[in-house]
Amino acid sequence: MIPNVAPAPADSAQATAAAAVQPNSVQPKPGQRTAFSKVSASRLVGSPGGVAGIVWLGALVIASLTAPWWLPYKTEDQDFTAVLSGPTAAHWLGTDELGRDLLSRIFAAAAGTLGTSLITVIVGVGLGTALAMVAAGGDRTEGVISRVTEVMMSLPGTVIILAVIGAVGTNIPLVMAILGVLISAGIYRVMLGQAKSLQSQLYVDAAKVDGVSTLGISLRHVLPGLTNTIVVQSALIFAVGMLIQAGLAFIGFGPPIPQPSWGGMIQGASQHVYDAPWLMVPTGAVLALTVLAANAIGNALGKAPNTAASHLPSAGARRQRGGSVASAGAAADAAVGAAASAADPRAMPAKGQLSVRNLSVGVDGGTPLVTGVSFDVEQGTVLGLVGESGCGKTMTALSLLGLLPAGVSAAGGQILWNGKNLAAATEREMEGIRGRDIALISQEPMRALDPMFTVGYQLAGAIRRLRKVGKAEARAEALSLLEKVGIVDAKRILKTYPHQISGGMAQRVAIALALSGRPRLLVADEPTTALDVTVQAEILSLLRTLVKDTGMSVVMVTHDLGVVADICDNVAVMYAGQVVESGRTATILDNPRHPYTLALLAADPHANTAADMPERLATISGQVPQPKDWPTGCRFMARCQFAGAACAAPVPLLSSGSESGMVRCVKADELAVEGLEWLATEVPTHRVLKIVEKDLA
Amino acid sequence: MEVTMALFITKRLLMALATVLVVAVLAFLLVHAMPGSPGAVSLGAGASQDAIDEVNTRLGWNDPLPAQFFRWLGDAVQGNLGASLIDGRSVSADLGNRLPVTASLAAGATVLSAVLGIGLGVTAAVRGGLVDRIVGAICGLAVALPAFWIGIIFVYLFAVQSSVFPATGYVPFEVSPQDWGLSLALPVITLAVGGAAFIARQTRASMLEALQQEHVRTLRATATPTWKILYVHALRYASLPIVAGIALQFIGLFGGSVIAEQLFAMPGLGQAVQTSVSTHDAPAVQGVVVIATVVVVAVNLVLELATKFLDPKLRAS
Repeated sequence: MIPNVAPAPADSAQATAAAAVQPNSVQPKPGQRTAFSKVSASRLVGSPGGVAGIVWLGALVIASLTAPWWLPYKTEDQDFTAVLSGPTAAHWLGTDELGRDLLSRIFAAAAGTLGTSLITVIVGVGLGTALAMVAAGGDRTEGVISRVTEVMMSLPGTVIILAVIGAVGTNIPLVMAILGVLISAGIYRVMLGQAKSLQSQLYVDAAKVDGVSTLGISLRHVLPGLTNTIVVQSALIFAVGMLIQAGLAFIGFGPPIPQPSWGGMIQGASQHVYDAPWLMVPTGAVLALTVLAANAIGNALGKAPNTAASHLPSAGARRQRGGSVASAGAAADAAVGAAASAADPRAMPAKGQLSVRNLSVGVDGGTPLVTGVSFDVEQGTVLGLVGESGCGKTMTALSLLGLLPAGVSAAGGQILWNGKNLAAATEREMEGIRGRDIALISQEPMRALDPMFTVGYQLAGAIRRLRKVGKAEARAEALSLLEKVGIVDAKRILKTYPHQISGGMAQRVAIALALSGRPRLLVADEPTTALDVTVQAEILSLLRTLVKDTGMSVVMVTHDLGVVADICDNVAVMYAGQVVESGRTATILDNPRHPYTLALLAADPHANTAADMPERLATISGQVPQPKDWPTGCRFMARCQFAGAACAAPVPLLSSGSESGMVRCVKADELAVEGLEWLATEVPTHRVLKIVEKDLA
Repeated sequence: MEVTMALFITKRLLMALATVLVVAVLAFLLVHAMPGSPGAVSLGAGASQDAIDEVNTRLGWNDPLPAQFFRWLGDAVQGNLGASLIDGRSVSADLGNRLPVTASLAAGATVLSAVLGIGLGVTAAVRGGLVDRIVGAICGLAVALPAFWIGIIFVYLFAVQSSVFPATGYVPFEVSPQDWGLSLALPVITLAVGGAAFIARQTRASMLEALQQEHVRTLRATATPTWKILYVHALRYASLPIVAGIALQFIGLFGGSVIAEQLFAMPGLGQAVQTSVSTHDAPAVQGVVVIATVVVVAVNLVLELATKFLDPKLRAS
């Protein structure tokens, strides 16, 4: 009867009571205050369900409060000429076994039902919130309160409520208040995480230093942040309260007869399910609608905008994949293909050759994220994709494997892998390519491995799939792969879970996983960024050895020019979704042609040796523009020290004159002739103490 | 690892024991707050004050409360929960007969809720789009409709209109397994509607969260077939909150049996609570509260250990 003593989960994952046990459950990050602050009226108004819920509840409240003036009959009026009647002109919703008007009884009972359910809400949500705020204030109190609420949640609430009724009688307000106490444990569980997160905000620390009392902090800083959750939970608990109250009345613990109550009326109706089934409908419908209304309001407010995208596109999207690019690409194919073959005398590319031609990636039916990107990766070479965050490096890299996040896809151009256009390949075709031809290692090794399975299971599984070998052979191969990536006690590591190993070790495992299908191309998305400096060097040297030993090629996404200098044969510098300069690594690092490359080098502390380290490192003012703000001309123009009028027109990628080098700057030649340098900007003296922003961090 | 696990289990057992004790005290106090002394209740209206006093003295009703409680506790641990004030029968024996009814009902409803809920939740999360919206709407409706109302509608549809299932009553398993199943069908389905909706929502949310994890990309990058990503990896990741949800649901369904037993005239614990509360039968109320608590706490303990076993991080620590 107590359907969920723990509040029903709203549609958002965060509000689920059980989410507390989720292994990597997303905790609200400190500083993300907006994620759960004020009640969002727009969210409520924007949801049709929410609006309908408010309208229904409002109408019901008004109707029940004004009932004495408009109800056609008194609740006890008996019309023996129309016993158990269906809807008629005299009795719109029919009558019960004593000929009493259902409409009158339903609305006469509404005020009491709604009012007493409100008691449960006030006690339950109030107590739960208060407990959460107290618990968030100190670890010891949290331990005690959590233990007590755990006990409360594991009690058979219904049975206890009935025992209470035995003791105090059918005093409904009191019973509903005690129900609120039982429910507060569930509310506490939902609130605690948020209250703790709010309590750990820096401004709360500051308030503590200022001597604001614990109570003051709770009321002034924590409570406002909980407002939305309080409203959401109130709506949901209101619904639970109504259901339970009706249930109690149904089994005979409602208001004293003949006073009407929804549960009691359904009980009466159940006696006549054989001869007058209609009697069930009106009361049941009003009760269900009222519960639905409260739930709809709660869900409308509780639905947090879901920012994280699924890594598995929906079935429909998977089937569609490739279709759009196939048509969009076909037109471009002829032109680009001709251009490519003209530029490249070899008609058939060698095994393991990647040619990206004019690739565009964008949000489906919307903003482009990457436009007109072209590069080549020869067998056994390493290409670096360099640039600041938000330049489209990762999107470019993921498109090579067809692993773009849900809602993002290749919108045009070609990804030619041994002559086959992967941009237009179907999901099934890509499944044949992934792992076997092209493999991936990603930035955060810990999150790249499945926390629920052992390293051995994941590695051996991949080997069995990709090499079509038996269990025992896969196990042996897993062991040898781990040894190959420099893990000494491979046998032990096979048995561990990802959380039991260090980040560096996890990245080695991830590399072993990527190697399990003997790929010809490895896409490495910032493989060292999340690691300690010493571990970074080890991983890079491992990758270098693997390239030498296996002859595979690598596309290395990085924002670290040191990594580029260390391992890459060629570089493509990306800015705002475009390649702005590409060519051989040595050429570009020694003789950069694009102002952005120039600026990146000038701003990199590692690119300057101790001797010629400038007093002040150069910076690149401003930020990478958002895709929607990209200008038609040079996208770097707004931040460029050398920008001029000519930069406002679209800039083509042209040969820079040195070997295969290309550059996208109208002033490239001019700059080269004049030998200009990217200068550190003058800092006004009053701001000298400000720490200089490191663009490449 | 074994040591910490043993320690954990010991701690949980002690806590479960403490929970039961607290509830026992609570039930004892509630029963004492009930209107009417045992003598008055058992002798009924019209009994003389002397007779009532005589019964009260015999039952020790006037002894100090702690003495009464420990006497009750001493008997209870030996399996004696006293005698009903109404018919004088042993409360333990009566509840012993009733427990299988409620256990079948709650277990059946939990299993059905879990199977339906996980199936629906996974389908909604995996298929998305229209299917997701339809499942969402059904679940929204299912949690809004009170179980007793749904139960009556089921009776109307399956017992009145077409007599597929018996409308009321309970046939013990020993008597006829087939009739046992048939007699349980409607109450179990009735309770499972709301339970399945709750678990479906939990499952859907957890599955979606699982599919947002970065390791899903690694799985795809190593050519893991989609069915395996969904039903082995994502479901495994989602299993923890789902099991926690099922544990919560069991508690709710156990309480829901009060309604279902009343509606379908089943001689279970729920019916015992309802009658004993109505008749102020103190020993029966006290006994049924404690028994219900023991069952719920025990099942919760098992499910909690299951969660612990499912999470490699917890298992190792």
